[in-house]
Amino acid sequence: MNMDLETAAMLRDSAARYAADNYGFLQRHAVLGEATGYSARAWRDYAELGWLALRLPETHGGLDADPLAVGALMEVVGSRLLMEPVLASAIVGTGLVVKLGSEAQQAALFPGLADGSLRLAFADAEPADSPCRVRGGRLSGRKISVLHGDVADRLIVSALDDAHGGRRLYLVDPAAGETEITRYRLVDGRGAANLHFAGAPAEPLGADAAAVEAALAEVLDEAAVAACAEALGAVRVLVATTCDYLKIRKQFGRAVGTNQALQHRAVDMFLLQEEVAALTLAAQQALGRPAAERARVVSGAKAYICNAARHVANEAVQMHGGLGVTEELDVSHYFRRLMVNAALFGSRDEHFARYLAAGRNGAAGGMHA
Amino acid sequence: MTDPITEARQRAEGLKAAIRSFYDGVMPVDLKRKSRLHQVLDKDDYVRWMRLLNDQGWAVGHWPKEYGGQAWSLLERFSFEDQLARLGCPWVIPFGVKYVGPVIYAFGSPEQKARFLPRIATTDDFWAQGYSEPGAGSDLAGLRTEAIRVESSEGDHYVVNGQKVWTTYAQWADWLFCLVKTARGEQAQKSISFLLIDMRSPGVTVKPIPTMDGYHHVNEVWLENVRVPAENLVGAEGEGWTYAKYLLKNERTAGAIVGMAWHALERLKGLAAEAAPASRDRLETRIGELELRFMALEVASYQAVESMMRGTEHGAEASLIKLRGTELYQHIAEAAVDTLGLAGVAWDAAALHAAAPPPLGPEDAGGIVKDHFYNRAATIFGGASEIQRNIVAKGVLGL
Repeated sequence: MNMDLETAAMLRDSAARYAADNYGFLQRHAVLGEATGYSARAWRDYAELGWLALRLPETHGGLDADPLAVGALMEVVGSRLLMEPVLASAIVGTGLVVKLGSEAQQAALFPGLADGSLRLAFADAEPADSPCRVRGGRLSGRKISVLHGDVADRLIVSALDDAHGGRRLYLVDPAAGETEITRYRLVDGRGAANLHFAGAPAEPLGADAAAVEAALAEVLDEAAVAACAEALGAVRVLVATTCDYLKIRKQFGRAVGTNQALQHRAVDMFLLQEEVAALTLAAQQALGRPAAERARVVSGAKAYICNAARHVANEAVQMHGGLGVTEELDVSHYFRRLMVNAALFGSRDEHFARYLAAGRNGAAGGMHA
Repeated sequence: MTDPITEARQRAEGLKAAIRSFYDGVMPVDLKRKSRLHQVLDKDDYVRWMRLLNDQGWAVGHWPKEYGGQAWSLLERFSFEDQLARLGCPWVIPFGVKYVGPVIYAFGSPEQKARFLPRIATTDDFWAQGYSEPGAGSDLAGLRTEAIRVESSEGDHYVVNGQKVWTTYAQWADWLFCLVKTARGEQAQKSISFLLIDMRSPGVTVKPIPTMDGYHHVNEVWLENVRVPAENLVGAEGEGWTYAKYLLKNERTAGAIVGMAWHALERLKGLAAEAAPASRDRLETRIGELELRFMALEVASYQAVESMMRGTEHGAEASLIKLRGTELYQHIAEAAVDTLGLAGVAWDAAALHAAAPPPLGPEDAGGIVKDHFYNRAATIFGGASEIQRNIVAKGVLGL
């Protein structure tokens, strides 16, 4: 992986242009009304723009994009609150197939991933009382809160391998039977599902448990970092929107932004934005480092960004007054997206614990330690 | 002679005990359940609830005896709201009994008292508050809704034009008490009047404002050439500001803030007990910090109420309760959503319980999430936190 600033900048510009033209607030409002919670048309556009091939190897017509480029796209996803399964399918799902898929699996899956006809979802979290396990190629158990599990064409499911022991990943076709899907919406409007497998046919992804664990850890870190970039996009919009509003909104005969107390709070929001940007970049760079250092920086970034984003979102709502909690203003939509963003791919507490553990194991605190 | 504070304390304790036995013995199971799950209550639920309270003599317990009240002390009134909220009871809709009722008995005509007060006590009339406007939120002096007085042989009336916003439950209201401008050009405070508007009048339009919790609380109310009989003016023209300030004084004693925080904290402890062992240590510390803040809020609130009764208040008491109470509540709500984990970002976890398993989180998860959304506005409505701090800075600290 090369860190290619130029590619990232080009991708950021073209993605921002596309989203500005096609994913304005009202256009997005129409998408929220779709049964699937996302726009099939936008998804086809993403395929044409090459976004869905970002994580695919160049040998298969992909871009083999580095974390900076992925982050550039995710920042736009966050800044316009795109609803499509970019993170779940094009980054996490695709990343797992790239790292673990056999030649045959990759040959079967890559074309569909690139053209958008195949949507993946990764099913990991499960209730403690019904863990997923695979026996004789059949999967049983439950998964909860699977992002875009409501629309996925293939599921990648983590489960205990009864034959060889350890945790493995499996490809499951939810249409192949023995899979019960409870579809619902997350608070930001994106679709999710709870899944109940009762002997669903499951095809192993990855050669052995050790390879799976290593690849999974890498891909989940990529996902956490992508979520950081998404948060950055949303935070930038909230800070800019709030500063604009402070200049426009008049009470007591003057713009509310002339109050020093509000100015200082706006400054704190801006400082958080800059820290979110710096930590996101550091985490993108750390993805190529040894595991312990990667864990320290990535989890530290995600933990800090969860808190920072919450603070910015709370302040943005507060400083917009009553408008801040309405559907008709975008602020409440960013608030909800950031809330989901903070809960997915590791909560604040989980990442903070991992950050502490990595520090105890001697990993450096940052890039300059 | 017993010290009035001591007597008020005894009466408040008696009231709290009566409320607890009311909750155990009288409160309908369906209302308890809806309220516990933070489910949306419809108009019928609220009317039933308010009438239940009135049956106990509580809906207007704070009114003077001559108007059917019990002349509660401030402490009883505060304790009443606190205790109901601690039990997780529905909201005591304040617009009639707490807001406009006292304005009418303090400043209204004998005809207005006879006409409106009994129907407020029984919630035969449902009231809404027409204060805020798009350009006048924190700054009520910026009101633009105009009422022009017209003399006529069929009786004098006002013609009202303007727009109100954030009007809670206007969609259910029979009446709107409304601040309007009755004079142009004059000093803002002297141009505002207090008008009672029949919501069925031609020219009144209610438009919902969807909010992020998905419930329908607030509305825009458009007033277009609405004809309001002159007899619906409360008190004198140009004195609306005085009445509004009197009303706000009644709004200040919000015992519900304390009780709600207590209730939410208890629920959070319950969620924490079921949380994964790995996260429990950190959660316990977090809850401990919140409990400590609650203790500070609780003792400061009750001491503030007693200072108000003694007339020894410094003027920051109400702001302290509102600021500390709402901000604490928001932090408790955040902790609850965090503790719910993945169930804390599901839009309607409650609906997931209606279907076959797998359920996601506890039965009230969806309600906790919506309550979190709703309460982001708690630091905005009823005097935003910024305004509360201005009040203390200017009025108390002299800055």
